[in-house]
Amino acid sequence: MGREGSWGDLSPGDLVIGSVYVHAPFCARRCFYCDFAVAVRRSGEPQSWAEAIGKELEILGAEGLAPLAPSLATVYVGGGTPSLLGPTAMDRLRRALGPGRLEHPELEWTSEANPESLTLDVAEQWRRAGLTRLSLGIQSFHEGTLRWMGRLHGAGGARSAVAAARHAGFENLSADLIFGLPSFLDRSWRTDLEATVALGVTHISLYGLTAEPDTPLGRSVRKGRTRIADEDRYREEYLEAHRFLTQEGFVHYEVSNFALPGFESRHNLAYWDGSPYLGLGNSSHSFLPPIRRWNLRAWDAYLERVHEGRLPVEDSEVVRGEAAQLEALWLGLRTSRGIPRDQLGSPAACALVAAWEAKGLASPVGPRIVLTPEGWLLLDRLAVELSEALPTRTTA
Amino acid sequence: MELDHIRNFCIVAHIDHGKSTLADRLLEHTATLDQRQMREQVLDSNELERERGITIKLHAVHMDYRAQDGDEYELNLIDTPGHVDFTYEVSRSLAACEGALLVVDATQGVQAQTLSNLFLALDADLEIIPVINKIDLPGAEPERRQFEVAELLGVEPETVLLASAKEGTGISEILEAIVERVPPPSGRWEAPLRALIFDSYYDKYLGAVPSIRVVDGVIRPGMTIAFGNVASEYEVTEVGYMRLKRFPQKELGPGEVGYVVAAIKEVADTRPGDTILDARHRAKELLPGYQEVRPMVFAGLYPTNADDYEDLRDALDRLKLNDASLQFEPETSTALGFGFRCGFLGLLHMEIIQERLDREFGVDLITTVPNVEYHVRLTGGEELAIESPSSLPDRGKIDSVSEPVVKVRILTPSEYIGNVQKLCHDRRGVFKSMNYVDTQRVELDFELPLAEIVLDFYDKLKSGTRGYAAMDYEFLEYRPDDLIKLDILVNGDPVDAFSVIIHRDKAFQYGRELTSKLKELIPRQQFEVALQAAIGPKIIARSNVKALRKNVTAKCYGGDITRKRKLLEKQKEGKRRMKQVGSVEIPQEAFLAVLSIGE
Repeated sequence: MGREGSWGDLSPGDLVIGSVYVHAPFCARRCFYCDFAVAVRRSGEPQSWAEAIGKELEILGAEGLAPLAPSLATVYVGGGTPSLLGPTAMDRLRRALGPGRLEHPELEWTSEANPESLTLDVAEQWRRAGLTRLSLGIQSFHEGTLRWMGRLHGAGGARSAVAAARHAGFENLSADLIFGLPSFLDRSWRTDLEATVALGVTHISLYGLTAEPDTPLGRSVRKGRTRIADEDRYREEYLEAHRFLTQEGFVHYEVSNFALPGFESRHNLAYWDGSPYLGLGNSSHSFLPPIRRWNLRAWDAYLERVHEGRLPVEDSEVVRGEAAQLEALWLGLRTSRGIPRDQLGSPAACALVAAWEAKGLASPVGPRIVLTPEGWLLLDRLAVELSEALPTRTTA
Repeated sequence: MELDHIRNFCIVAHIDHGKSTLADRLLEHTATLDQRQMREQVLDSNELERERGITIKLHAVHMDYRAQDGDEYELNLIDTPGHVDFTYEVSRSLAACEGALLVVDATQGVQAQTLSNLFLALDADLEIIPVINKIDLPGAEPERRQFEVAELLGVEPETVLLASAKEGTGISEILEAIVERVPPPSGRWEAPLRALIFDSYYDKYLGAVPSIRVVDGVIRPGMTIAFGNVASEYEVTEVGYMRLKRFPQKELGPGEVGYVVAAIKEVADTRPGDTILDARHRAKELLPGYQEVRPMVFAGLYPTNADDYEDLRDALDRLKLNDASLQFEPETSTALGFGFRCGFLGLLHMEIIQERLDREFGVDLITTVPNVEYHVRLTGGEELAIESPSSLPDRGKIDSVSEPVVKVRILTPSEYIGNVQKLCHDRRGVFKSMNYVDTQRVELDFELPLAEIVLDFYDKLKSGTRGYAAMDYEFLEYRPDDLIKLDILVNGDPVDAFSVIIHRDKAFQYGRELTSKLKELIPRQQFEVALQAAIGPKIIARSNVKALRKNVTAKCYGGDITRKRKLLEKQKEGKRRMKQVGSVEIPQEAFLAVLSIGE
């Protein structure tokens, strides 16, 4: 793959896409544990970024590969650090996406932002451009922890960022928190949870620290210099978050996401329920069932390709049969909607789910099966088990 | 051909001392094969043989040679397997010869296998022609080796020939020495047919085709033949000799070497060492030396995927067509399901079979710990032969358990004597004798339980001598000892595939090592898994696999579902390769771990 003109078989047919992800690759520095597609810059390059996104969309359109709905239901700008792009970024993006695309009355338009770069100016101009939701990379309120992680904001950063967002008129605010940190940091998870709730956010995402192999953290763990939390502590903190946040009125609606009722992220739900989505920018993924494709990972390579008028796609795959089944189970089990019981097409699968229920890993909710928090802790294993127990679908 | 113009000989050598290259040169020099054919021959031969540098199957090649005396001679080169697992088969091919080229590497000198094969050749009363090969190599010490070999054989150093098969030097001298020194065969034309079978291969069109050496009488198409030790009769349709292909002849007379085609149903009918007779005119006496080939090492072979059971059976059936020494019968394991208990001549034989099943037939296998055959005397006086630990009767019913003991010959540079002594001692060996082969090398003789060398003895010997030692073994006798069955319980249930019969003194350490090794290899399950080693009802070691606490990819970023799914697919694939034992999933590596205990 990767040759020009070889994408004819990716034609989406009658599909219409209502969700778009846009990657903003710039970060002022790379965090200790991060393995995302990031370009380290002192400041973002909003103009070339928005131009590239617009150009990519143009190329996709010419190839018939971006059948966007006239007005989109959800847009999510992730990174990297989108707030590093500065106050003009969202207005530029609005123009890059084309007239009318962001006029949906129910539009959910989220951008990630880091406390240190979400200034009042940025928040206000973004709000004016039409952004409806901010996802703040808070991670922790503990000074030592933030420093160890390589974050650029301090303990007070979260509060001032939330204040700026509020002042600009954002009501729908999400906070990212990290758990499962090394014990030597002496960070109190409970304290951070309480502080987050006290900020009055409407949505909380949890991120369990994992030592990805190609990160400084991964190398440090491999060499035995750093010990990340053991499984028991990971488990305890996860369950503690569930207990505390649900008690505070949050709904644990997906493995790592909590929301006040009505504030669930609709964009993320599109990923989990198998809806089509378009990814723009380097390293982004698109799903036009049954085809998933993804862009070149490096910003420079992406930019070069787009400027040459060529698709920046790295590769694609057709998700069918066993792979599609495994994906659907895994994604379905992630959410509190679960999967329909009548999908358990074999006695082995029914027996397996009955065993989960007996062990408190799953519970029936109406005609559906939903994992409990204990079940979510074993999500990958359970999805694999269930897909083993099901007869392979023979879809063409 | 007149008897006095026939020479039957073989080449005996240690692995890699250049036997095949020398054989190739002889064929070239006698214009039996040209170079193009040589290459083809190399390409045609069994891939495994070439990789391991060993000859697994025997072949005999017929050469015509005009000697310096002006006469035309028929030279038959009979190939011999180079490894101790095939000692009996080596002895049968030696019995078809009158002479042997003893090939010794000019850099390495005499090795353990050189000695074992030499002793077999001397037992067979063969005329030995010693050849120092690879004299072209930088480290070669031809004169020292000449002297060393002369001393070993009790001959004059100048009778030891020098050659470089690679460079083609010394080949004429070897051919002349074969004509001059190897005695011609003796035999009577008019006597009733007696022909020695020394090998056999299976051809799907011709059936089993035995390689034979005619001792007395004549064999020709149209005759009905019988066997000394198998009750079958067949009509001969073709006789002849082999080069690259068959060269049919009118007949084979006394002293001649060739093949017989008689639509023989299976290789098992054509047993090495058996005598082919004229069914209408049977000779009174069979040729001496026939033995039933008995397997020495046993292991259970199980398909990783239960659906492959029939494929495994077919593959074993097909291997058996060509290898009568492979034995197998169906076996059921509670842990591993349906499989086969297989008997092998030795470790190398077992490895070869495993590799061929994998490589030629594509069957993915789990092999249980190899074990030997135990002889059990029950309190009632009854005797049992046990090939699998799980069939050992209750302890209360056992009077004694005997195990096979082998004579082991180890050749090592003298600085490693201590390491070798220690290794053999650790393996319950009894030291018998020590001789200096030359100033630097020592031959050590031990008696060792075969069970102690079937696993990793050879590897340990090699690492304890920096790769210099060589070993060889042969069966001695059955001896009683304090042997018990050690079971491994997984969550309370014995897993038969982990059971071993072991000496009581070693059981504790073995149990402890195995349970802790299994702890590393059995992945965490959704519950705690207890691993115990037990002798009867007594638990002697234990270890726990903690329950799985977390297995989740918490955050699913930016729609990159493909990468996460691939991780799940990997997990799923791993799960498929596991064996479900009760409620516990055990990966294949755990069954193999038993093989590497003590590392």
